[in-house]
Parts: sequence; structure tokens; C-alpha cells
Amino acid sequence: MPDPQDPAGAVFGALSDPTRRALLAAIASQPHATATELAAELPISRQAVAKHLAALGDAGLIEHERTGREVHYRLTPEPLSDAVSWMAEVGGQWDQRLATLRRTLETR
Amino acid sequence: MSDRIERRLWLAAAPEDVWDVITGASWLADEVRFDLRPGGDAEFRTREETKTGWVEDAHSPAGSADGSGRLAFWWATDGDPATRVEVTLEPARGWDGPEGTRLRIIESRPLDVLDLVGTPLRRVGGASYGPALIAA
Repeated sequence: MPDPQDPAGAVFGALSDPTRRALLAAIASQPHATATELAAELPISRQAVAKHLAALGDAGLIEHERTGREVHYRLTPEPLSDAVSWMAEVGGQWDQRLATLRRTLETR
Repeated sequence: MSDRIERRLWLAAAPEDVWDVITGASWLADEVRFDLRPGGDAEFRTREETKTGWVEDAHSPAGSADGSGRLAFWWATDGDPATRVEVTLEPARGWDGPEGTRLRIIESRPLDVLDLVGTPLRRVGGASYGPALIAA
């Protein structure tokens, strides 16, 4: 659960990591994905995905639902305020653009 | 008060080369049209959406005495408030000495009264309204 004393701090702490922002964007684009499906989308291990999912869950940004043996993740609407979701989405876009910029300049 | 995103990055390329890519036809979107003058129109097309906007200020590193560059522009998708993007480039050496560029990008979403600047962007032609409202 988010720290009731400082919910914004917990949210921004969780969003300070680019991998977690990418993970959040992946969950936003495919609600009810499993950790295995999310790991397939990102260049990190299944174990790292599990760790980041736990951090996002602790900040109250995502919640999970168990169906049989599978655990599905989705965004929690409330703590992800308009400001925070804007920062996650637009920040993720800049991370992608900057990675492209670096690749473009390095291959010149 | 505004929501704000900031990224800093060092690149092993001259500011002029970085400038050419960031103001080029395919970096900020799949298809970019930029009139690099204050008040100039801008359009950014991707498969998913088209943003329109205008240039607030553009100083190429090629034309500056200290080799730095600065680009500020506004953009918005149809119906959304406009956000402001500021890109600064400075010549800077990397850790082990090579020449390169320190890049800083800030995208901010002004709140309160400045949200008005987004309104004219609901149709193409924001340039005729945007800078005047910023100045006001």
C-alpha cells in the first residue's frame, strides 16, 4: 500500500526509474498482462520484472489479480493522477526519443 | 505551477550534428515539419496522432559564438492543452575527454491561466495566437 503520509513521494520514487516507467507503459497498453508477458516486451529478466512489479505495487500504481496459476497486472486508477500519468507517458516517450538520438549519432 | 519532465544526456557528437537530428524530419515524430523562426508553424505526425504547434525560439549552435544551441517550441494534439518543450545544447567534454554535447530537454505542461495557450491549437494555425498569449 502507498505510504498514507506521503503518497506522492512513493509514486514519484517508483517512477524515478526508467525501467519501471517502461513497465508501467507496457501495463497501460496491455491490461491484464502477466509478468511473463511483460518480461517478453522489455529487455530485462523475469526476476527484474518481478522486483519492479513489486515496487510499483508498493507505490499503489498497479494491482494484481490471481486467476488460477496466473497473476495479471493492471494500473490502479486513483493514485495515478492526471499529472503522474502524464509524466509517465511523456517521460517514456522522451526516453525512447533519446535512445534513438544516441543510436542515430553513434552510427554516423 | 506546472508538470514538468527533464532529461539530461551527454552525446559523443558536436552540437551542430545533434541540432541537425533533433530539428530534422524524423526524430520528434515520423514526419516533422518545422519552421525554425519565432512564431513559425510546426507539425508532427506519427502513425497514431498528429501534433501541431509553433516555434517560440530557435538558435542553432552553428550561429552562436559559444557553440550552444536552444530550441523552444509548443505542441499539442487536437483538443489537449499545449505543452512547451525546451531543448538546450552545450559543447562539453565527456569523462575521458572526447568532445561532445550536453543535451537537456524539458517538457512542461503549464497549468492555470497559461492553459489558454492550448486552445488555439484545436485547429492548425496556432502560430497566429500562441506567441501573443505567451507574451500576455
